[in-house]
Amino acid sequence: MIIVNIDVMMAKRKISSGELAQKIGITPANLSILKNQKAKAVRFSTLNDICKALDCQPGDILEYKED
Amino acid sequence: MKYQSIIIRWSKIATLLFIAMVLVGDIFGFIITQYICYIWAAKFDAVSLAGLSVVYYLGTVGTYVILFSLLKLLSNMGKDIVFERTNIKLMNIIAYTFVAVALDCLVGGFIWSGSFILAVLALFLALVVQSVRVVFDKAITMKEELDLTI
Repeated sequence: MIIVNIDVMMAKRKISSGELAQKIGITPANLSILKNQKAKAVRFSTLNDICKALDCQPGDILEYKED
Repeated sequence: MKYQSIIIRWSKIATLLFIAMVLVGDIFGFIITQYICYIWAAKFDAVSLAGLSVVYYLGTVGTYVILFSLLKLLSNMGKDIVFERTNIKLMNIIAYTFVAVALDCLVGGFIWSGSFILAVLALFLALVVQSVRVVFDKAITMKEELDLTI
């Protein structure tokens, strides 16, 4: 399964959920879905915005783990 | 949108009319069953009449379940509750009740052969409702996936 490690990157960059949601233009509720591993898919545009806001690579946020 | 709400309103009115018709059918059930048994089926024994009455009233109970479920379904559509699991449940109830009514009519067919046609018709309607339910189920799954796409 794919794990979203967005909260780890957020802690590294010292950025709050509200601030990140505002920067990437999604609602805090949707960011929460992403953080809680509830999301079924992530758009490339959203991934692009997250990487831009957190100054990181997609691999820093997404991780594959054996089920 | 206005066009859709007009269709829903008229469908609700039609459903209420059908409920009223079944209610009238229930009230005069004893006359209708006698008519079917003596005139259509040409059976004059008490056992046939009693059997047909049981089949008839069980059929009307099923019809009430179907019509009230349909009314709730139309009410949900009117409130823009479309792709929800509650509608799937209602369609399931309608489809399975149609199957139950078909079985009921099948039993009635042994007393009055015309009831076999009603059984086939009820099974056909169950098939239609079940097919619509599958389409709705797929649509709900797709909507849920879309809702969880960030």
